[in-house]
Amino acid sequence: MVIHALLKRNTYYDSIALMSVAQAVKDLPGVVDVGAVMATSINCELLQNSDLLPVAFLAEQQTPPGPEDLLIVVRASDEAQAQAALAAAEQRLTSRGDRGATDSAAPLPVRSLELALQHDKTANLALISVTGEHAWLEAEQALRHGLHVFLFSDNVSIEQEQRLKALAVKNGLLLMGPDCGTAIINGVGLGFSNVAPRGSIGIVGASGTGMQQLICLIAASGMGISQAIGTGGRDLSEAIGGVMMRSGLALLANDPQTEVIVLVSKPPAERVASEILAAAQLAKPVVVVFLGTAPEHFATVAGKAHLARTLTGGAELAVSLAGGDRTRVPGEGTLHKYNLAAERAKLASSQRYIRALYSGGTLCDEAMLLLSEQVGAVASNIPLRPEWALAAGETFRGHTALDLGSDEFTRGRPHPMIDPALRLQYLARAAQDPETTVILMDIVLGFCAHPNPAAAHVPAISQARATAAAAGRSLPVIISLCGAAGDPQRLSMQRKALEAAGALVYESNVAAASAAASFVERA
Amino acid sequence: MTVSLLALDYSRPIQPLFAQASRAGSVHSVFRHAVNITLDDTMLALLSSELPRMPNSARLPPVVAEELLHGLRPGMQVWIGSASLRIPARDFSLHLPQTPPWEPRPGIADYRWSRKTALHHIRLLAHHLAAQPQRGGLAPLIGPLLLGQPAPETPLSRMALPALRMLALASWRRDSAGVAEATHGLAGLGPGLTPSGDDALAGFAAVMTLLSPYLSADAAPRDDIAATIARVARPRTTALSAVLLAHAAQGEVAEHLGNLLLALALPAEVSEAVLHAANHVLSFGANSGGDTLLGMLLALRALEGEID
Repeated sequence: MVIHALLKRNTYYDSIALMSVAQAVKDLPGVVDVGAVMATSINCELLQNSDLLPVAFLAEQQTPPGPEDLLIVVRASDEAQAQAALAAAEQRLTSRGDRGATDSAAPLPVRSLELALQHDKTANLALISVTGEHAWLEAEQALRHGLHVFLFSDNVSIEQEQRLKALAVKNGLLLMGPDCGTAIINGVGLGFSNVAPRGSIGIVGASGTGMQQLICLIAASGMGISQAIGTGGRDLSEAIGGVMMRSGLALLANDPQTEVIVLVSKPPAERVASEILAAAQLAKPVVVVFLGTAPEHFATVAGKAHLARTLTGGAELAVSLAGGDRTRVPGEGTLHKYNLAAERAKLASSQRYIRALYSGGTLCDEAMLLLSEQVGAVASNIPLRPEWALAAGETFRGHTALDLGSDEFTRGRPHPMIDPALRLQYLARAAQDPETTVILMDIVLGFCAHPNPAAAHVPAISQARATAAAAGRSLPVIISLCGAAGDPQRLSMQRKALEAAGALVYESNVAAASAAASFVERA
Repeated sequence: MTVSLLALDYSRPIQPLFAQASRAGSVHSVFRHAVNITLDDTMLALLSSELPRMPNSARLPPVVAEELLHGLRPGMQVWIGSASLRIPARDFSLHLPQTPPWEPRPGIADYRWSRKTALHHIRLLAHHLAAQPQRGGLAPLIGPLLLGQPAPETPLSRMALPALRMLALASWRRDSAGVAEATHGLAGLGPGLTPSGDDALAGFAAVMTLLSPYLSADAAPRDDIAATIARVARPRTTALSAVLLAHAAQGEVAEHLGNLLLALALPAEVSEAVLHAANHVLSFGANSGGDTLLGMLLALRALEGEID
């Protein structure tokens, strides 16, 4: 039996790389044992206790090895096998590059659309998330290869979007985006998406969090989603003309799995809304949620389409039309699951204003619509009216709703659905303000979102309530929790943890906003 | 042309390095998603945002990190200070965003702590981790140390087990000499760039600093024990381990470990959240996650009183 060693000075590999190399070398013929450790003095003792200490080899070294040196030792049946094993170890480490790359036998990483298509010729959809300035080019290439496109990237110009969507329509393809956050295609979630059962309700949406709220409320009722097709937030603008919403609508109209269709958008251009409603005169029921526009506004052109004022209302209508039980949608009926009157009685006289801190733009819009109807002006960075806009440097002004997912808050930092750090600072500031009556926030679960938002929010909520309590105030915190039972963060666990911190948790954004409004005097 | 980038986020302890006058450091080690940079006696890490935040890290978008790390080699000169980090050989400079830093010391004081609830979670965690498929490192000692199960007969186990027992006992007794002797037996021990013994010591030290006042049976703070561990380990292990141990002794830990420590304050009925958080820690590195969990659990056990 012989012991041979290899010393690599000031050389660092991650643990997974070292373990993988040691295991591979151990399997070579004649090799009895292998050690691959940083040469700390105690690891030399460990090698000695493992009959692996290369005494002669270490004695030959002019400078003894130290903690920054990698020592690989092989005990083998004979010289040749030991040498071969060390050569194999070195070769494996070298072939991994200097960064612990994947196994050298593994295929090269796919770095272009062409390579991806060579890798899997059956692919029919490309998900594109590259820097905005290059996104249109990748999207065009994908469309020219006959692929549907989910374009997560933003910063694509209106002209580029028009061109891409024209090309998609010409080729009978979907161009979901740009800035498309959510889709579920054939049961596969893309972008920020929730785990919903397959079912008979299809959605086409120009609003990511709006679609997520619909999906989660529908899933909570026990119904499922056939397809959820995103269009990008600008699709129903005058310039784009609802091109993709009409394509999505046509696809769902012909999809045998889809029995009810829901269309959702933030306020659309007037002409485009009318055209969409005209296209929605189908044999299948179509529910339309144009947030910010009263259903009565389109009453004359709605025809057979069912108009809903809120996302929750849209979900209830869709569930009902699909043969489900609309009362199982956790909507406004859940408003009084908490004793709001008792909470209200604890408020101090100084507390007058709602402070809403949203990560989802559409959810923020919806909350502002409901709040403004009940309590009057709501200041915001995405105001419903120009005169309600927050001035530069202004954090709160009276009733305030912030969309912390908008560009000015996410430049150079992750979206608050992924990293709530900035929002938690606003929460602390709102808690310190004696005029704050209630804090309203959304938490969105699903793929791409924070892996455990309750863990991130619970300490901050506890601290906010403690801050207020120390100043003699009670501070209700209301959470609009948008998630599905199958989401990786576990909806029930998130709800329990938030409630344990004293938050009032609603799955319907409408219910959450109504609960918040109930804490202040009507305008 | 110099490429100038803004970090996505950064940890509070690295902020002073950027605030002072520019000083020369060097690239220490380069991995697929991370680069470590030495500056004097400390080290900072540039990470892809795919990785959890570390107490000494700034993070970059994955595509930027991949592009940058591809061209870096150990020994390259790095200038840090005067509000930037510059790597002349790559014509690269990094700035910190004008946003508040991430705080790596979890907000323990914001929680209401209950020893009874924490004990419930700890028992559950010990059983959960002991039931995991056997891995390398020190995680297989969770069963023997906390559940009375037989110890694996390996050289690593034979060396580590007495030292871990001594660490727990000496920490409960607040016996600084005993803690130092146990640290001698663990620092730099085992596989990995941060050897297993160090990861266990880091988990142990973090609990001593952060949770001892809230969860120990005698309600005594034990941050002096954590400081002893970091001081004794420093000359006996790798530079990276030494830096991370120094942070742990200050209660500054990686994001996933911080989340787990905070989760221990959650009500008993949501222990799924604790297991979920522990699984995140467990998935870190080849053995590092399991080793850290062993140290954390042993420390929590030590706060209960004398260990058998």
